[in-house]
Amino acid sequence: MSTTEPSPTPRALTFDCVRCGLTVSALDPDGRERDHCPGCLSSRHVVDHDGGGASACDGRMVPLSIAVPRGGVWVLVHRCVRCDELAESAVTADDNPLVLMRIAVRPLADPPFPLDLFGEV
Amino acid sequence: MGRRNRDRRERRPQRPKTVLHAHGEIGGAGSFRCAGCRLEVPAIAPGTSHRNHCPHCLTSLHVDRRIPGDRAADCRGPMVALSLAGRTDGEWRLVHRCSRCGGLSVNRIAGDDNARALVRLAVRPLAGAPSGFAAVARGALARL
Repeated sequence: MSTTEPSPTPRALTFDCVRCGLTVSALDPDGRERDHCPGCLSSRHVVDHDGGGASACDGRMVPLSIAVPRGGVWVLVHRCVRCDELAESAVTADDNPLVLMRIAVRPLADPPFPLDLFGEV
Repeated sequence: MGRRNRDRRERRPQRPKTVLHAHGEIGGAGSFRCAGCRLEVPAIAPGTSHRNHCPHCLTSLHVDRRIPGDRAADCRGPMVALSLAGRTDGEWRLVHRCSRCGGLSVNRIAGDDNARALVRLAVRPLAGAPSGFAAVARGALARL
């Protein structure tokens, strides 16, 4: 065994966002590993969420919607632009609040039926 | 009314159905029973030809895997409505999550879907959640 081998965990401390090019730290303020850019909330399709394991797609994942499971914590739903696979990822403390809010109000800003009728129901 | 309601006529045509469904499913019997509220739902829906969820409680069934209609999933768990996503042409898409295996899927809403259930889902991120909306709003104000 050669001594020039890198250490078993040469984890990169930063990564570049595939959409906006922002260099972000690999760990979020809470110490967990980040899976999306805090600036534009884009992600990369590296995990196969259906079959498990690593994915060969490597496409860009755009934020689709915000889900609120039990507990009231916001969860981002991502969708891959190449293969249309969906993924969930937790919202971190330093995610861009304006982009988050825009995704959250997007269905209500453009409803398929008039919402003012709900005042009478 | 939304801003983009004027160009509703330029609607994307739906993909034709290319899969054959088993007997007793949609296409076989002409109706299915909801996995959540046991409502008998006709397979033909206004506004969409790909109905996959109950119009009353919006519950779906985990039968498809990667391609819609492939019937390749062996989970068969009930999928509850998780969130709503808007499309650029103003239509709403419903994101489902399997309550057994956690798989996600997206489907357009149908014309006879329960509007009250849909709106309840749409306002859920903005409802006074302890660590959702309030935390994000605090973060936005702190940066201004």
